[in-house]
Formats: sequence, C-alpha cells, structure tokens
Amino acid sequence: MENSKITRRGLLKSGAAAVTAVGATTIGAPTIWAQNIKDITLRQFGTGVSNLNDVADKVKEDLGFTLEMTALDSDSVTQRAATQPNSFDIADIEYWICKKVWPTGNLQAMDTSRIANYDKIVGIFRDGKLTPESEIAQGTAPHTVGFVDGPDGKEFVQEQSGWMTLIPTIYNADTLGIRPDLIGRPISNWSELLNPEFKGKASILDISSIGIMDMAMVVESMGEYTYPDKGNMTREEIDMTIGIFTEAKQNGQFRAFWKSFDESVNLMASGEVVIQSMWSPAITAVKSKGIPCVYQPLEEGYRSWGGGIGLSKSLSGLELDAAYEYINWYLSGWVGGYLMRQGYYSAVPETSKDFMTENEWGYWFEGKEATDVITSPTGDKLAEAGETRDGGAFEERMGRVACWNAVMDENQYMVRKWNEFIAS
Amino acid sequence: MEPRPKSFYFLSILFAMFLLFLYGPTLTIGILSFQGPGGGLTFPMRGTSLYWFRDLFEQQAVGDIWGSFARSITLGLMVMLTTVVISVMGGLAFRRRFAGSSLLFYLIITSLVIPSILVSLGVGLIFNQADLEVHWSTSGFGSQLTWTLPFGLLIMFAVFNRFDSSFEEAARDQGASPLQTIGYVVLPIIAPSLIGVALFGFTLSYDEFARTLLTSGSYNTLPLEIYGMTTNVTTPVLYALGTLTTIFSLIIIGIFLFLAAISGRRRKAMGSDAGKGDV
Amino acid sequence: MQKFFARNTVAGWLMVSPLAVILLFFLVMPIVMIVIVSFWQATEFSIIPAFSLENYEFLFGSSVTYRVFLNTFKYALITWAVTLVIGFTVAYYLAFHIRSLTWQIALFLLCTIPFWTSNIIRMISWIPFLGRNGIANSTLISWGVIDEPLEWLLFSDFAVILAFVHLYTLFMVVPIFNTMVRIDKSLIEAARDAGASGAQILWNVIIPLTKPGIMIGTIFVVTLVMGDFITVRFMSGSQSANVGRLISNDIALLQYPSAAATAVVLLVTVLIVIGILLRFVDIRKEL
Repeated sequence: MENSKITRRGLLKSGAAAVTAVGATTIGAPTIWAQNIKDITLRQFGTGVSNLNDVADKVKEDLGFTLEMTALDSDSVTQRAATQPNSFDIADIEYWICKKVWPTGNLQAMDTSRIANYDKIVGIFRDGKLTPESEIAQGTAPHTVGFVDGPDGKEFVQEQSGWMTLIPTIYNADTLGIRPDLIGRPISNWSELLNPEFKGKASILDISSIGIMDMAMVVESMGEYTYPDKGNMTREEIDMTIGIFTEAKQNGQFRAFWKSFDESVNLMASGEVVIQSMWSPAITAVKSKGIPCVYQPLEEGYRSWGGGIGLSKSLSGLELDAAYEYINWYLSGWVGGYLMRQGYYSAVPETSKDFMTENEWGYWFEGKEATDVITSPTGDKLAEAGETRDGGAFEERMGRVACWNAVMDENQYMVRKWNEFIAS
Repeated sequence: MEPRPKSFYFLSILFAMFLLFLYGPTLTIGILSFQGPGGGLTFPMRGTSLYWFRDLFEQQAVGDIWGSFARSITLGLMVMLTTVVISVMGGLAFRRRFAGSSLLFYLIITSLVIPSILVSLGVGLIFNQADLEVHWSTSGFGSQLTWTLPFGLLIMFAVFNRFDSSFEEAARDQGASPLQTIGYVVLPIIAPSLIGVALFGFTLSYDEFARTLLTSGSYNTLPLEIYGMTTNVTTPVLYALGTLTTIFSLIIIGIFLFLAAISGRRRKAMGSDAGKGDV
Repeated sequence: MQKFFARNTVAGWLMVSPLAVILLFFLVMPIVMIVIVSFWQATEFSIIPAFSLENYEFLFGSSVTYRVFLNTFKYALITWAVTLVIGFTVAYYLAFHIRSLTWQIALFLLCTIPFWTSNIIRMISWIPFLGRNGIANSTLISWGVIDEPLEWLLFSDFAVILAFVHLYTLFMVVPIFNTMVRIDKSLIEAARDAGASGAQILWNVIIPLTKPGIMIGTIFVVTLVMGDFITVRFMSGSQSANVGRLISNDIALLQYPSAAATAVVLLVTVLIVIGILLRFVDIRKEL
C-alpha cells in the first residue's frame, strides 16, 4: 500500500499522471496491479545508447516496479534478441534488427489502442512520412517493419494495422564527424571520406549493416554509381561498393575501423582520425573534452536509424500490463527529454518539451541559438550560449534522410563480402 | 662467493627492461586513474584527484559494475573449489595407468589448446539447440572449467611426478588405510601445490573473457562488463576500475602466499616428524 | 594403495569421473556440435538443420580464407620467435644468475603482477602510448630521433605483435624456468671443467636440456595466438584479421554454421600443429 502511495505521488510530481491514467483505464484494472506492481521485475536489454540506469531508477520512482537494465554492444543485442528469448522481457533494439529478429517469433505485437500517445508518435514511425510531402528514404525505413497483421502476425504489413512490432523510442540522423581544426576547410560531401587528402586519417565503422550504407553514400557522392535502392543492393552492387573501399583501404586511406562508441571518440579526440562515420553522442563526448568536433551536415543528406522497444513473446498477465504501462510512461516525456538532451530525438517530441527548458528545446529541437549553457543530462557542458546545433532543427535534419540502416535480401552475401573487406 | 660475470649485469639490464615493458601499461593505467575530473583516457593529466575512484562507486550511466564484480568472485570461487577437488582426484588417479587413461590425457591436452572461442561457440550452440537457458553459473561455469582443469591437472601431474612415495609406504606399513594415507600423508604434503592450483583456478576464471562470451546469459561477469564498458564509457573510470581490480588481485595473491607460508611451515614440522619416524 | 589402484581401472575411472563428465559435456559435445552445425545452413536469424557443404565450399573457395590463415600463422610464428628469445633470456637470468631461491621467487612474482590487471584494459592502455600523438612518438620527436610521428606504431601488425608479446611472454618464461631449475648444476660444472666456453655451455648443454620447457611454452604461445580474436581487433584497429576474428564476426552476425565451419578448420589446424609439437616432447614425463 505504502508503495502505491509513493507511486502515485511520484506520478503527480512528474506531471505524467494524466497520461498514465489514460493508459491504466485502457488496461481496465488499475487497482489490482497498483497493489501487486511492486513485485514485478522486467528485464530489458539493449545498447548502452538508451539502456540507462537513470531510466530504471525513474521507473521505480514513477511506476513502482523494477526494471533491470543490461547494456550490450549492438552485435550481442541482435544475438540475444534472436537466440535467447527467455533471457529478456523487453528488447530495446533497432528497426533493422527487428527485420531479422521478428521472424523468429521471439517478440509479440503490441496493441496500439493501449498506447495512449500513439497518435502523437512522429509520422516516420507510422506512415513513413515526417511531413505529408516528404519522400520516404531508402533502406529499412521504420514503418516498413513497424506493423504486423495481428497479435500473432509473422508478416510485416505496410499500413497502420493496430499491431506494432516496436514502439519507437529514439532515433537520429547520422553523418560524418570531422575535426574542423585539423582539416581547415569546409566539408560538404560524403565523398570526402575517400579524399586522398585524408590518407591515413579516415575511418569507417566496422558494423557491416551500417557501414555498407555509409559506403553507399560515399559511392553515390563520388558520382561512381546511383543505386536504385541503397538499402537493398544486388550482389554486383555489393561487389562494386566494397571493391572501391577495398582499393582505398589498400592504399592506406583508413587509420582504423571502429566498432564501439568509445573507439570512435578516442580516434577523433587523439587526432588519429580527422574524418569518419560517427554517432551524435560521440561528437558531444569529443566536444566535452574541449576538442573541436563537428557533426557535419552533408549535401547528400543523412543516414538514419531508429530504435524501439519490443515485448517478449513470453510476457503475459500482470507483467504484460506492467510492460504496457512502461511503454506509455516511456512516451509520456521524461525519457524523451532525457534522450533529447543527449542529441537524439524522442518518438513523441511534444511530450518531451515539458521536460526540457526552453533553452534546451530551442537548441536541440528547433535548431536555435542557445541562450545559455547547454549541459548533458549528467551535467557535462556541451555548448556555450550562442552556439547552434550541427545540422539545425529537427525537420531540417530528419527531413534530409537519404537512407535508413537496412537489412538487405542479399544480407548474407554482403556480410561475407564485408568480412573479406576487413580481412583484405 | 665468486664475482658476478659481465653477462650478469647485461642480463640484469635486459631483465629490468622486460619488467618495464610488462609494467608500462599497468603503470599508465595506475597514473591515469588519478586524472582530475576533467581528464580523459589519454595524457596529459588534467590535475590529480580521486574523483574517478569515487565515481566508480556511484551508479554508472549504464551497466552494473559491482553486480558483475560479485558474480565474477562467486564464479571464481566456484571454479577454484571445483578445480582443486577434481585436479587432486585426477592427479591421484593418473598416478597409475588405467584403461582409457591416455585417451583422457589427450582430451585434457585438447581442452588446453582448443581456442577459447570454440568452447564458447559450442557450448552456446548446445544450450541453444537443447532450449536451455545459458547462465554464468551453469554454462559459463562449465566452459571455464575446460580452461582451469587442464592447468590444475598439469600442476598435479608435475607434483605427483616428484612425489616421494616412501612416505605412503611408511604410512601403509604402520597400518593406515588408503583413505587415511591420502588424508594424513598425501594431502598435507601436496598442500602448497594445492594453493597454487587454487590460485590458478581463481585467476583464470576471474579474467576469462572468450569462454564466457556466449555462455553467460543475462548477467555479465566482470571481464564482460569491462568489455561492455569499453563500448560506452570514455572516462578514466575504466582505468580506476583497472587499478582497483589489480589491487584486489594483489590482496588475493597476498592471502594465498600467506596460506602457502603457513602450510609450508606446518609441512616442515610434519616432515621432520616423518623423518624421525624413519630413523 | 598403489596396487589397489593399479589393479583397479574401476577405481581409476571413479576418481576421474567428475573430470570425464565435465570434459564430455563442455569439451567433447561442443566440438561434436560445432562439427554438426558446420554442415547446416543459416538464414538471417536462425540455423536450419539441413545437410549442406556450402559453408566449406565458401570457405575454401575464397582467397581471403587463405590470406587470413596465412596471417594467423604469421602472427603465431613471429610472436613465438620473439617470446622465445625474451622468455628464454628471462628464464636463464632467473635460473642461473639469481642465486637464492627467495630472490628467484620474488622476481618471478614481480613478473606476474601486471597479469592481474584486466587484459582488455591493459590492451586499451597501449593506445595512448603508441598513437600518432602518443607518448612514444612525442618522446622520440622531442629527442630529435624522428621528425614525423611514426604511423606504424599503432593500428598495425607491429602493434598486434607487441600486444601478443606483452600478454603471452610469461607463458614461455614459466615452463622454461621450470625445466632450467631442474638441470643438474654439476653438468654445467663438468662442461666448464672440460674447457667449454660460456656460449658452448649454453648451446651444447643448457639449450638441449631446456628443450621440453621450450616445447611446452611453444604450445601455450602458439595456441593462444592462433585462437585469439580480440587482441587483433583492438591493436590493428580492425584493419587486419586472423581466423579468430573471422569466427567472431560470423558469430556476431548470427552466421553460426559459417562460424562453425571456420572453427572446425581452425581446430584441425591447431591440433595438427600441437600434434607435431608433441612428437618432440613427452609432456607427462617433463612436467
């Protein structure tokens, strides 16, 4: 009883009470689970990007149950989702991974009528369109693997069927990171990655599904080839793409390949590399060391990715209710605000706004000049007053997505070719 | 004492350089773990502080260092005990050839030389196909034993190769049963080596990475956690952890050496008893 | 008691039964499993138990496989040679130049202490040392030895082998030291009395008598290097590959059958190498 009181007070304090109440009414039996909820433990795993202990603490505070977080590297995440269905209740995975994992039947579809903020979720995850006019980018766009035809659906459907595979959590538009102080001139094309000027000072990430997309962006930018669909290459296209990079590798273009977040930070911070594929928080990590680093917007646009939460097949009863409650809470703003202040985007930006200062909202979302110092959720200084975010406002960045991280039909062939590229 | 040859001084310098080479990274880690709050993973130092050690005891952004630390210690102790018991039994059994003993011996050698990732892969596949859940205390435990047991057994073989069986004969002549002989004569004599086996068992388990990679399930052991940290953490807290685990390891060695010293003294006392008996 | 055991295979097996069970479940069965799976097929997310030679066909059909195996042998050979020279020298110093047992043990323990820091953290700490703007380069530049930073110090074969030597030399020192201390000192006295020079003693007496230790150390180093996958990744900046990396990449991408096929070839290779080495030494006798 005492616990449920704390829960309720926490909810009121967080300002999410209204949202939660809607969620709870949909479930239909709020009183029963309010009493038993404290005994529930949900096990979530995902990459370190969003599997944050702060989130688990806040869940305990707001919802009363325990969320156990396990952070893994992206390969292990796929592995666990696909092969160890009993080791988790909630999978925090990327959409392109979903394409691989869904057919295993380890996850269950979610009833969108139980998602309070479903209608407020950004269009990208529902019909694929950020704005009614926007064109859908190549690759595994989230909405193409976002829905199935029923609670036990195995096939993805291309309309909003009411049964969602993943509830979107965070996403971002990726581009190349550069050291402006060591390059000393403007960079505006993906092709600069293979510019001999940066021989021995370039890097690309060694995660095949993502790396091949970066490669494709570079190949198109060089004017070598225009893909019908970068996200679904033919064998010949794969051979050609990797061939170009193999040649560059043998000419000593690359200093190293990185596989983990910290490697990319260290490569950049130490000056080993001046231009490379990079992720947004890695840029902020370099900047917070006082080293200039820019997440350079490029003419050809961004390569984008999105993550979401999936529910284990084995979840049922009270635990399933708790999981829905957690999802509703996730979309209600606190987490969104937390993640947006790291440079990601929330699936329901408008709820996150309540959990950010006007300055933060203006800087991160609207692309405005910071009116005051911008700090990370953990308190590190990321930007001074007067600075603007690389790439500008939300629509400006997400509106210029050229392709999504993807799984191709020829994925196995691509993986083997990638392995050869690394070994060559 | 005859004067040292020139080669002694030359080799001393080489040895010192070897030590420096071995200690270089450990020292770098040690120094960098005292970085100031604004410092990074590389030189230069930005002030000195205990900030990162304190940070280590606070909750990290992701993961669970101390939970994995506790799991690694528990697993290390489990592996240690099992390794000691099974190695002694194996060592005793292998003093005599028995049908199939060569085959078993070659299995032990195979276990020693098989690349760790193959054990990880194979055990993972078996659990996967049998629809069992991998867990550090079951599949992880077994996989680690395939690495610690060969070491333990090889040490026991070495010990029994040099074991003077006249002590046993003496015990038997005085009417001791086989079990009494083992309990009162053999075990006390080999006790210091058992401490060596235990130390090996614990540390090989404590630092094992590849064999646990696919076999530990939902919860990380410390090496896996550290590996996970390298993918997210870019602060000297990683080095603080390194320094702290080194200190922890040193304490463990200290305890084992202390135990070895005690049992050595006891053995000396008992050895002299036996000597008197012989006379 | 000895007779009791000698006559009783049953008792022998009773004593080793826990060992046998563990090896059966966690060594023999996994190997069998790997061999079986290496003939299976895979989709993106699961393995299909259907017999196929495709994994091996791809493996042996790709020139990269041969290059990677060659690379693996190269690492093993160079690391072996370097660790042997260093390991032998250190063991020789400890065994023949340090006269008191206490000092021998103390210096030996001194060598082992760095091994108590996590391998991964130790590996990472080489990076600030060897990097373009790292300690080594800035020191050499400030001494005027070089003008430009040496690029090959990090993310290169040099860095990989340096890390291997750093991690595995002790595995060479221990067995060599172990055989050296058991050499009867009177043999060396006799050689000296017969007028042999220091070098002659080393070459004709000590080295032949140390061979078993060298062989055991070789077995350790060669198998550790050939099975490695993480050192090569960290130190080469993912630029080069050995067989272990091929396997771990396949595992990471859920291509278990393909990983298993590579694993089978690696295992056979390692066992052949070890089989050859074991012809030169009777491990059980030399322990």
